[in-house]
Amino acid sequence: MTDATVGYFLIGIAILFVLGLVFALSSRQGRLQQERPAPPPGVHLPTGSYLPVVLAVGAALLGAGFAFRPEGMIANIFLAVPGLLVLVGSIFAWVRAAGREWREIERGAHDDAPGH
Amino acid sequence: MTTVEAHAADLPQPGRGRREAGVPTPLVGMLLFIASEVMFFGGLFAAYFNSRAAHAAAWHPPPGGELDMPLAAVLTAILVSSSFTMQFGVAAIRRGDQRGLRLWVGLTLVLGVLFLLGQLYDYSRLGFGIGDGIFGTTFYTLTGFHGAHVFGGAVGLTVILSRALQGQFSAGNHVAVEAVSIYWHFVDVVWIALFTTIYILR
Repeated sequence: MTDATVGYFLIGIAILFVLGLVFALSSRQGRLQQERPAPPPGVHLPTGSYLPVVLAVGAALLGAGFAFRPEGMIANIFLAVPGLLVLVGSIFAWVRAAGREWREIERGAHDDAPGH
Repeated sequence: MTTVEAHAADLPQPGRGRREAGVPTPLVGMLLFIASEVMFFGGLFAAYFNSRAAHAAAWHPPPGGELDMPLAAVLTAILVSSSFTMQFGVAAIRRGDQRGLRLWVGLTLVLGVLFLLGQLYDYSRLGFGIGDGIFGTTFYTLTGFHGAHVFGGAVGLTVILSRALQGQFSAGNHVAVEAVSIYWHFVDVVWIALFTTIYILR
């Protein structure tokens, strides 16, 4: 079995792991929000965030890891691994921040707040 | 009645739902996102055709490598089938059939994951890598970015399945299912274009 084959096998495992994690988190969030209040009417625009920039840096590092790889390796681990960690971490942080913001908006709806 | 109007007709009413009138915000967001994705893949296809035109004489897999047409055809059949199962799921929840939604979305997710694993298996047997010439670079860039989009769709399907298992959707409130289904069909269409370009036109 070549290094590349092992790499693709690990990517397959990672895909299944991430999907399982998403399912578990989504199920847990659903249980916590069974009685969530109705959101306010109107269009809500999210507030500014630095996380998209962080995410882009992670994606760039990950891409560089695949582009500048040593001979016989699927990627340069010194670039790809930090890039992947930053990418996944910033996605989770962004989703959490957006969820927190939305819950605040929902709570605001019960204080008769105008549309956001 | 257009598709968009049909979506709008069975959505939550003002005061309870997340819109006051017109097309629901999540669907507008998804359509805008897909518009940006069309531009993204348009750029990748342009790079592919430009590279192919500039290197017509050497436009083939590097020595020792060959594209696996039968496997790619099977993967194509899997992904196209998943579009049908997704649409069956959407039709089920439009009727208020939650069991049908869970069944079809679950099946769609399984087919999507099968496609991804099949693509990784294909990569492991191709005999050339992303750094092996202009063909290898464009091939892995196009199919790799498409695979990343399939993975994104699979994440969306996982969330939809989880919410469906909790009974969060109904005939009048399932805009998230509609949005994810539109994205999944888009990913399917892109693959058909990719398969045609890379494997049939060659």
